[in-house]
Amino acid sequence: MTADARYVIRASDPVRSGPAGWLDQVTAAARRAPVAYREQLARRRRRTIAITILALLFVLYPLINTLLLQPLVRSGVPLPVPDDTVATFMLIFAAMAIGLNIVAGFAGLLDLGYVAFYALGAYTAAFFASPHFASLSLVLFSEVAPGYPGIHVPFFVIVPLAALIAATFGVLLGAPTLRLRGDYLAIVTLGFGEIVPVVFKNLVGINFQLGPIKLENANLTGGAVGINPIDPPSFFGIDFGATSGQAAVYLAMVIVALSVIIARNLERSRMGRAWMAIREDELAAEMMGVNTVRTKLLAFGLGASFAGVAGSLQASYLGATTSDFFQFSTSILVLIMIILGGIGNIWGVMAGALALVYVDKTFLPWIAQRVQAINSDLPNAAQFNFLIFGIILVIMMRFRPEGFIPSRQRAAELRHAPPGQQIGSAATLGEDAVKSEETSQAIAAEQAAEPDA
Amino acid sequence: MEQLIQTIIIGLANGLQYALVALGYTLVYGIIELINFAHGDLFMLGSMIALGLFFLLGVTSSTPIAQAGLLILLIIALTMIATATINWSIERVAYRPLRNAPKLAPLISAIGMSFVLQNIGLLAAGPANKGFENVVPNTNILTTLLGIQTSIEFTYKQLFVAVVTIPLLVGLTWFVSRTRQGKAMRATAQDPDTAGLMGIDVNRTISLTFLIGGALAGAAGVVQILFNNATVWNLGFRFGLNSFTSAVLGGIGNLQGAVVGAIILGLINAFSDRYLSANWTNAIVFAVLITILVFRPTGLLGQQLAERA
Repeated sequence: MTADARYVIRASDPVRSGPAGWLDQVTAAARRAPVAYREQLARRRRRTIAITILALLFVLYPLINTLLLQPLVRSGVPLPVPDDTVATFMLIFAAMAIGLNIVAGFAGLLDLGYVAFYALGAYTAAFFASPHFASLSLVLFSEVAPGYPGIHVPFFVIVPLAALIAATFGVLLGAPTLRLRGDYLAIVTLGFGEIVPVVFKNLVGINFQLGPIKLENANLTGGAVGINPIDPPSFFGIDFGATSGQAAVYLAMVIVALSVIIARNLERSRMGRAWMAIREDELAAEMMGVNTVRTKLLAFGLGASFAGVAGSLQASYLGATTSDFFQFSTSILVLIMIILGGIGNIWGVMAGALALVYVDKTFLPWIAQRVQAINSDLPNAAQFNFLIFGIILVIMMRFRPEGFIPSRQRAAELRHAPPGQQIGSAATLGEDAVKSEETSQAIAAEQAAEPDA
Repeated sequence: MEQLIQTIIIGLANGLQYALVALGYTLVYGIIELINFAHGDLFMLGSMIALGLFFLLGVTSSTPIAQAGLLILLIIALTMIATATINWSIERVAYRPLRNAPKLAPLISAIGMSFVLQNIGLLAAGPANKGFENVVPNTNILTTLLGIQTSIEFTYKQLFVAVVTIPLLVGLTWFVSRTRQGKAMRATAQDPDTAGLMGIDVNRTISLTFLIGGALAGAAGVVQILFNNATVWNLGFRFGLNSFTSAVLGGIGNLQGAVVGAIILGLINAFSDRYLSANWTNAIVFAVLITILVFRPTGLLGQQLAERA
């Protein structure tokens, strides 16, 4: 078997388009996985073994945590171990980081209001799986008893619904802002991120009449209190909510794994290459035949859907949501995650999210506890988390702007400014020009080959 | 009618304060195309420095008017010097090394600086609101001084805001449009490379821009302490966001635009507070911003910039 057998298209390989084709690809990849793994092992033995161990540790972590680490901590061994709640949030933010990476990393559109889609996802779960709309009693395939007040839809319906709603708003926001460039886009997304929580906070006591629809002092969003309780995610009678401990971590893990697979496929698709072409040089990409409007809208919509899913998981997991969860600082936090991790690289941004939530929620409080045990007058490290993040950001931008686990392409872009921004560096100028030309040509060639798509 | 005039007065007083900070955003953006996220927090630090100076010099509401006036002038000058120095140092440390990097790098650096400044405020003054007394009286000029019978309130505080901000705005416009240094600033904003070739010291001009922006933020900080009687470590975020929004509204990079945008924003704020509900004000502000940008993508007074290759 040759080394690149994985990439050869066989006659038996299905050629379908759309989601069905995607499913085919996934199953085909799964079928080929054992072979591919053996090849990898033969080629890069050490690296493959290391990655395997890492992946196994990742998957087994919740078990190790419950069986080994937590008893150790309880018996007094000082270890900064994240509990199941922190672990779940690490993964929820990993899904968000993967989504923001599509918008900001792949397509290069700076979104400073990403939290809006997180909020939309959370409120989707709150509307469709809670006793909030008590006058309606709509229990659909859910594990709640029929006749229970409120709308109750099972979690596996909530997730795609949240993705769809977030994506719709992503496109709605994207559509009018496509003419804007760079910083204007950033401020509009920021504004959107500010509007959404305000709307959720204030849609109470609404009086409204339009034809047969009549609202009298209607409480749509629960106001400042928010909505609770929200049904916990559950499948076949198994509860994955906040009280379920490691079960929730595994659910979040599955969602992150799916996000990674989808994002990887998007990155390598025609759309992914179009995003990168737009990021490098929008004008050149357009000249080469990339449909910039459609490409940007898809980036916004798809990126938003990840945050929608993360939001629905968060709300279902916590069993409650309020507009106070969704502040500008969350948008910035996710942005920091992808910058620190390595913007453009899926593994990098994931690692950034896991690390940052861990440091914020477990490590710093742990340090603070140690320090305050010595002397309670010393400053509380957990209170100054953002001071530490801020200093790290400034230093990172100075010495390693591409992040800890960078994407090779983004690193080159961040190290050497695109032509026109840098003064008198002919070598890098030429390199960049060639690179973006290659990308654009590849896309143009593909679009010529498939004019119907 | 009286309610309308009252709302306009409140809106103008707010707008003038936004204008001081918005100018800092727009100056920096015009010259190095950077959204200086730390600027709002610099304003917050300015208000804290001013508060410290008020306590240090023992200015209270019972200080005689002439003495208080002189001391306020002194404090404004000192705070402006302090914030200008801070802003200059920030540029040296966080932005200048990234001069040739892509635009994302200094932006992230600015966000980092913003966190640092907020936490300096938190360390200095603690998490709670720091209040201050009415050194500038909050009494109505129209009824007490002029003896007009009306329900409209135009207070000494509001007059004070106008007296401090308008000369600064006029002075800045004069500086940028009439002086040699101002000309250098405009040239650098248009094309830093060519400006450098023409003998303009680009780095010095950028430093000067940060000094001016910082000084204006400091003046705004003093006004904040005397007008709203309070400061807190995260004050700069909301205020900075509103100021930046005004700069974008007027067309970022355009000085007159920033002032116009700030006054419009102050009026929108006041009208929304009065006629709708204060809960919705933030949403309204950004909805207006998005709508304006959709129809005029470069803001109200912004000119179409050529796409840089």
